[in-house]
Amino acid sequence: MATTTSTLKLESADLTDNALALSVSKICYKGGTTIGLDQSTGLTRTYLTATTSIDIFPVVKGATNAAETGKIYIANLSEDETEFIIVSLANSVIGRLYAGDWMWMPWTPQAQHLSDIEIAPSVTTGMIIEYMAVHNFANIYPTSADA
Amino acid sequence: MATINAELTFTSDITSSGTSFTKNMIMNKAGRSAATGLEFTSGLITRKYTAVTEVDLVVTGVQLYGTPTANAADGSTNSANKLYIKNTSSSVTDYVTIGIGTAAETQEIDDNSSNNHIGRLYGGDWMLIPFNGLTTNNDITVKPSTAEATTVEWMLFFE
Repeated sequence: MATTTSTLKLESADLTDNALALSVSKICYKGGTTIGLDQSTGLTRTYLTATTSIDIFPVVKGATNAAETGKIYIANLSEDETEFIIVSLANSVIGRLYAGDWMWMPWTPQAQHLSDIEIAPSVTTGMIIEYMAVHNFANIYPTSADA
Repeated sequence: MATINAELTFTSDITSSGTSFTKNMIMNKAGRSAATGLEFTSGLITRKYTAVTEVDLVVTGVQLYGTPTANAADGSTNSANKLYIKNTSSSVTDYVTIGIGTAAETQEIDDNSSNNHIGRLYGGDWMLIPFNGLTTNNDITVKPSTAEATTVEWMLFFE
């Protein structure tokens, strides 16, 4: 059985009067079990030169993973603080990742289009983006054009 | 201005050679350098739910802790808000479904006018995502899988 662990440390000495120090660690299991997730898209590093929205994690038509849970990591590796990507779940905008920002979240793909994870860069001058899914889904594609 | 560090450490032996990395993020304001960090927070909020009902967990717009700046579609306002959520339960089988939109709406496909489910947080699971903050269909919703008491923690960092 594979073991995948994600650990978060959130710290700030000056956000509040008392220092913030939060730490959480969790093994990534298949939904409702203590069996580790056993598939990965691999850690992808891509260079995007258009502001077009693309599906980095599209759902295959007919795939049924609504009772499953995977994990998604996305990072904006740009070094220009003005550059960002817009991250969306289908047409629902989750938010922006500016240079150096990353995100980690669960993902339960329910249906094609409804659950696609999409990103749209803010510039055409080139941005390096890193992303990965850890999952046990029957079907997800590598990157493809938005449908 | 504050300095907030978020560090992700990932380790996995899914692949034959293993994968591990550590990624640090300083939570800066939108388009700004490390000298201008996010300066407001909701505080670490704890909510207990006892019904299998979808509700808004993090609501956009004016709140008691302040008004998070939203990312306007026309670019007139920009933000790099971040949201942390954890299911503090220890249950292997019970979970909460996290969504984006408005809890009162039913799910519709790809129309950005209702509610879309992101994924499940089982006991101990956590997430850290950007928070867009638009006042239309941009709330973060939660739906427990059980009527037994389920506790969810969350903390918003915003500008």
